[in-house]
Amino acid sequence: MPEVLAIRSLHAGYDKLVVLSGVDLSVARGEWLALLGPNASGKTTLLHCIAGLLSPSGGSISICGHSLREQTKAAKGALGFGCAPESLPDLLTGRQCLEIYAAAKGLAAVDAGVLALAEEFALAPMLDRFVGSYSLGTKQKLAVLLALLGEPALVVLDEAFNGLDPASALVLKRHLRSRVSSGSCGVLLATHALDVVERYSDRAALLLEGRIAREWSREELAALRAAPGEGLELALAAASAAS
Amino acid sequence: MPRGMAAHPHLASKLLLLGNAWRHKRGRMLLAAALILAGCAAVAAVPPTGSILGWLGRNWAVAFVIATCVFALSAARRRQRAAIDAATSWLAALPAGSPVLLRVMLASGAWLVASVAFTALVWAIGAIDRFAFSRLALSMAAGAVVGFLAGWRLPRAGIGAPGFHYAIVRRPRARWASAPSLAPLANWPAAQGRIFSRPKKSAPVLLIAMMAIPSGLHDAPGQVALAVAGACLALFSLLSLSKAAVWVAVDAARWLAPTTLERWRFTGALIWRVALTQTATLGVLIFLTSIIDLPRVLRVGLPLAALYLAASLAAAVAASLLACRRAGLGA
Repeated sequence: MPEVLAIRSLHAGYDKLVVLSGVDLSVARGEWLALLGPNASGKTTLLHCIAGLLSPSGGSISICGHSLREQTKAAKGALGFGCAPESLPDLLTGRQCLEIYAAAKGLAAVDAGVLALAEEFALAPMLDRFVGSYSLGTKQKLAVLLALLGEPALVVLDEAFNGLDPASALVLKRHLRSRVSSGSCGVLLATHALDVVERYSDRAALLLEGRIAREWSREELAALRAAPGEGLELALAAASAAS
Repeated sequence: MPRGMAAHPHLASKLLLLGNAWRHKRGRMLLAAALILAGCAAVAAVPPTGSILGWLGRNWAVAFVIATCVFALSAARRRQRAAIDAATSWLAALPAGSPVLLRVMLASGAWLVASVAFTALVWAIGAIDRFAFSRLALSMAAGAVVGFLAGWRLPRAGIGAPGFHYAIVRRPRARWASAPSLAPLANWPAAQGRIFSRPKKSAPVLLIAMMAIPSGLHDAPGQVALAVAGACLALFSLLSLSKAAVWVAVDAARWLAPTTLERWRFTGALIWRVALTQTATLGVLIFLTSIIDLPRVLRVGLPLAALYLAASLAAAVAASLLACRRAGLGA
């Protein structure tokens, strides 16, 4: 499968604070990569670099073979980024957000699949209310819908299961899994939810102190899933200690 | 933590915040202070400032009433805000209560000092005499004390509803899903403008405007008073819209940064409704005032309105393009 995301020697930070120092990462089409790491390890910074919200100080990011720096429009055209719920516009309705985002992505229409997912999320009755009146979970659902607009080749989500009720979380996990399995996209998910990593991800990477400290392949994740007790948790703790 | 502040965690946290800001954003703080000082000096040097303050110095009772009303309203609002902050603060669970009274007193005192300092600046420039300055300073000090006491005792409203309740939920376009458009983006600054000019915000402006009409002294008819009040509200809403367009640009650009939207399309979509509303409001204002004095409106009002519209649009466009650049939208 071709790579939808290729990150090479990425360096980034804020003013003098160095957060990422030489990150190498790739996601293939038809692959779900879980990005793990303790708080303040640089996961969100990495995702912001991929979304173009933060300019890296070194290294390169390519989305579907297009350099984010030199072919920005083509690279962003293949990207679906799930923004943080708190950065959604409070003074627009959910429906307006979907319409604006679809227009901003240059889509001819809002995808039927996204509208169907909104129905499954039980979000449709809320769509004509201001986003500011939504709960955290409802905002999270809207952020995910925006990320999935336009069938992007690369879906990037940050803690997308935070605040979701179990039924909606299951709907989202299955939806993402079906998109990945059909080969229509690759998913990069930064998360602390280890059940998602064990059951749904194809690969996992651990970000520690601005670097990828450890990666787990599909087979290794399967072995951890089959192992009794706290397989992945123990493996994470061991990798952190070794690092 | 500063010594002796352990018993006052709310105050200590504010001091630490200030210290952190000074350490990490010293340049920005100094620049902001310099800009504020320059702005004050510019306003103090403008001829009408001296005339208005001189008039208030001669009519100290009016100055006292205005100061009383302003400080009463600000104390009441600060008390409510401080109470909400205390209830929702990360330190709310601590046994030490939040010093609401001290906070409101400090803020009111700071505003009084700033007002007297500004008047002193006008006196130093020579726009008012010493007699007017001393009377004004005394009137403001007395008004601040009386106003503070009155405002502190005003009955408190409950914790306010979120501001977005003032904005209008617009009906979705019929073809929103089959032919999505950027047009609804313009609803964001429009809604923010309505929040900025909500009754709570516009009431003090209206009060000051009404008090600035010396109807009893100069036999100004009631219609004129109403017209001035209406014009003040309209102007306040215009200013609120201008501020909203600048304010929203940053958040909107950051929200849409991961998309392929171009900068000029973003800018146009963001500000078209603001521009249209401001043009319509100014048009209505000009039409109404032209009924009273057409030649003066054509000579003064029309160029002023055009100038304001141009300045407002220029500020919105500049803010939008700057926000796009910072967020990486349309890069």
